[in-house]
Amino acid sequence: MNKKMVFMLVSLLVLMSVLAGCGSSNSTAESNGSKANQSTNTSGENKSEAEPFEVVLRHIHIRDTAKQTLAILQDAVKATEADVPGLKISLDGVEDAVNRDVKLKAEMAAGNQPPIFSLFGGADTENYSKAGRLLPLNDILTELGIQDSFFDLREFTVDGKIYGLPESGYIEGFFYNKKLFEQVGASVPATWDELVDAMEKLKAGGITPIAMGAGSGDGWVINMLANSMFVALGGPELQEGFATGAAKWTDPAVVEAFKRIEFLVQHQYIDPNVLGLKFPQGQANFYTGKAAMLFDGSWAVNAITGESSTVKDDAGFFRFPDVGGKGDGYINGGWSNGYGFSAAVNERELQAVKAFIKNFFSMENQKRTLVETSQIASMKGITDIQGANDLIKTIGEAQGSAKGAFPAFDSVVQPQVKVALETNMQQLLGGKVTPEQAAENMQKVQDEANAASN
Amino acid sequence: MTFKKLKQAAPHLVLLPYILIVLYPLWFVILASMKNNTEIFNDPWGLPAALSLQNYRDALTNSYIGHYFANSLFIGVTATLSTLFLSMTIAYAVTRMRFPVLSKAVYGLLLISLLIPPASLLIPLYTLVKDLGMYNTPMALIFPYISFGIPLTVFVLAAFLKSIPNELEEAGVMDGLSTFGILGRIIMPLTQPTLVTVFILNFINNWNEFVMANLFLSNEKLRTLPVAIVAFADKFNMNYGAMTAAIAISIIPVIIIFAILQKQIIEGVTAGSVKG
Amino acid sequence: MAPYILARESWWITHMKNIQRNYWAYVIFVVPALLIYVTFYLYPLFQSLQYSLTKWNGINDPVFVGLSNFAKAISDEQFWVSFKNNIYFVLFSVFIQVPFIVFISIIVSSAKRFLNFYKLTVFLPCILSTASIGVIWQFIYSPDAGLLNQLLTAVGLESWKRIWLGDEATAFLSILLTNGWQWTGFYIVLVLAAIFAIPKEMLEAGEMDGATGWRKAWLLTIPLIRPVIMVTLLLSITGAMKALDIILIMTKGGPFGSSEVMASYMYKQAYTINDFGYANAIAVIVSLFTAVLSLIFQYINVKTREASE
Repeated sequence: MNKKMVFMLVSLLVLMSVLAGCGSSNSTAESNGSKANQSTNTSGENKSEAEPFEVVLRHIHIRDTAKQTLAILQDAVKATEADVPGLKISLDGVEDAVNRDVKLKAEMAAGNQPPIFSLFGGADTENYSKAGRLLPLNDILTELGIQDSFFDLREFTVDGKIYGLPESGYIEGFFYNKKLFEQVGASVPATWDELVDAMEKLKAGGITPIAMGAGSGDGWVINMLANSMFVALGGPELQEGFATGAAKWTDPAVVEAFKRIEFLVQHQYIDPNVLGLKFPQGQANFYTGKAAMLFDGSWAVNAITGESSTVKDDAGFFRFPDVGGKGDGYINGGWSNGYGFSAAVNERELQAVKAFIKNFFSMENQKRTLVETSQIASMKGITDIQGANDLIKTIGEAQGSAKGAFPAFDSVVQPQVKVALETNMQQLLGGKVTPEQAAENMQKVQDEANAASN
Repeated sequence: MTFKKLKQAAPHLVLLPYILIVLYPLWFVILASMKNNTEIFNDPWGLPAALSLQNYRDALTNSYIGHYFANSLFIGVTATLSTLFLSMTIAYAVTRMRFPVLSKAVYGLLLISLLIPPASLLIPLYTLVKDLGMYNTPMALIFPYISFGIPLTVFVLAAFLKSIPNELEEAGVMDGLSTFGILGRIIMPLTQPTLVTVFILNFINNWNEFVMANLFLSNEKLRTLPVAIVAFADKFNMNYGAMTAAIAISIIPVIIIFAILQKQIIEGVTAGSVKG
Repeated sequence: MAPYILARESWWITHMKNIQRNYWAYVIFVVPALLIYVTFYLYPLFQSLQYSLTKWNGINDPVFVGLSNFAKAISDEQFWVSFKNNIYFVLFSVFIQVPFIVFISIIVSSAKRFLNFYKLTVFLPCILSTASIGVIWQFIYSPDAGLLNQLLTAVGLESWKRIWLGDEATAFLSILLTNGWQWTGFYIVLVLAAIFAIPKEMLEAGEMDGATGWRKAWLLTIPLIRPVIMVTLLLSITGAMKALDIILIMTKGGPFGSSEVMASYMYKQAYTINDFGYANAIAVIVSLFTAVLSLIFQYINVKTREASE
């Protein structure tokens, strides 16, 4: 037969893989070589210095839209490397959901988390700190004199100990397209009725009122809207009560909130394709001018003012309108994403951690966060905001004028309750459940979760 | 057209739609990779307005796609060859050597694997890989790939080995060959077509594997192609141009290899399995 | 003469026996492979069994809870949705995909020209990674600009347009089709080889008896390639039970869990909900279920073989 050919095929593949293997081993050899060079350099300049060491920093700024955020991080990393002799920080970028749900979780379980990593406040921080994986930062913050510099560290604080530092803050609300509003004669709504009126005008004008992508694994997108709705109707204390049993998902405020979501769906105010789109696709429908509004967090500013956007100069922001409930004037916001540090660091790694905190959580970087990346700062005291874009300024004003802020509900309920709300809200979007049924389903899951955690 | 001609054309007419369905998505990727985003949305069908390679530039800058390709190839081939070697010896021992009780036990042990989807072992496997110090090295994938490949490979090889007549071995014994000699000189050459089959089967599986590769390697430079593609999809968000360019970059080399070796690959896939 | 032959014969039977009962060779052949297999397959399986009896959030110490995770599965509606989807997946493979594969293979085998072209093209999708395929097909199914909806509009079937991956009625089916697109060609090539391996004389003899066209295929070809069809069936059944990545990449089980299969539901319980105990219990159920399916398959295989012989 064609033995020769088979032989050639196999040997070719083997050859290629050997080459590939050589390629990768070469590159490691090179990087070892460069490390060795570095160490000779440093020892030449500074004789007391010890051997080079590497610290992994896990971040989540891998998207094209996060280039500027990454740049700030890279600068801080450079400064940190300069501060700590022998230190080499290797940046490990991972998609946020993958890191949060899979990778970091698995590493935490096994106890081999990197020394510095992107961390979410709330339940994540609480779980990991209870397992003893997180480094308490109180002493370091005092040493650096920034213990009182942050707006809010509650989500990262467990039993008085601080386990993480927020990189930036967020608030949620409606982004809207000024041009499209003008075109149909709608005004910026301050109340629910005005919102409905604006949506009706938009729809009559052939424009999709609310862009949204909440299909696939992105049920959390509709959760944001539901969250603001039931807090507006029932007040911020409502969601704090779910896990303790003080409040129920079957309470009238929640059912009414679900009814209003259903109302938005039935009148096709929310893009009817919502379940076929992922979160970034929904966002894109807004920033390419296909829909007039987007309910999203302030992190969306980057995309809305980014390269692919066609609505850069027409985008505005307003907070969730008053609905005549106990939570009117409150805004969903907080400082829940930032960096945590491994409790398993050795002496030298600890030095690196300290230097990183010093270099990254600085006024200079906070200002850059606001101006260059259009994110809400996490530290107090920025006075000069020259160069910041109008949209983030508007968002800042909305934040300032709010009565108060409340955290996202998923930081105060069990993870299965969060997933259950995603499922139920998707079903509501698909017209598969009534608001009452959704509320009952939710309470059932909540009861089970409460029983299990007691 | 005569009836005979019509009859000859009939199969092609039936196959045409199927071939279109197979090829169109790939054609679309190539087209889209040369368009910008607006063009993709407004005119997904048409040819690109201008032949632009900007998307390829975007996809190639700041990415280690060459690395990823090399990683995938190295891990895939190493794991596959090891699987083949280990499976061959075990299949030979079980089918051609006379330890009926032991062999039944070994075979039974391997049979368990058919019942367990590898995905269900993900969680304990992660801990194991970490405990053995393999986390974040190519070994973290190579060993699981080998062990997941062994059972099916053994079954296919065993099925083939059973069909080899005893006389051939007897002839080998006459010539004074040892157990190893029989395996190396007589059985292996006979099995070659089947070996190629299982090579391809295993290689495709390893090449495509996503879930473990995503979980067991953390360093960006160690990633394999499938993980990189999903990361690209995240990175480029809604930038379909760059995304399709990234996909094209990752599939074109495979298609080229395939086009060159297609005869061997297809014969390899088919040669052994007919008997199996 | 006769005693000499007998003596010689018995010598070689012993010798042959020695070769085939070489204990050390057996150990060398079997142990390394088994060691890897046991470490990376059976040991995790054993651990999975252990964890399935615990309440464990993946970080803190597991607490023994007996069979309560299994009880939970039985009363968990969402789990049953994923269970049903696995069944659909298997049924789709067995009753739609495999017959289609055989059908196309027979047609290809009857084509006199372009044979190699067909082989090459149909095989193409299965060398691509599931990840790439998932990403490509997401675009095809996308509601606004998606190729499928555009195609339907172009041929005047506007009313057939769907939000393919966002509609409970079509999401899972869409995934099945994508999965089929990926793997059909592989099996076609297998089946084709079997068809071409049929000795010409047998087919000619059949033709003499008046079997032509589809009659020939049904009466001659299909029975003759029965073994390869069985292999195809077994591979697609186990493939259906293994599927995870295509679901994770295309829908993550959405919308509202309607395209979840057991493996993806397990993944969700572990990595989104932190319920590793329950996740491992689902893993155990998947294994048991696959075991039952394989046994049923074996039983049918043996029965039908007996019947046909």
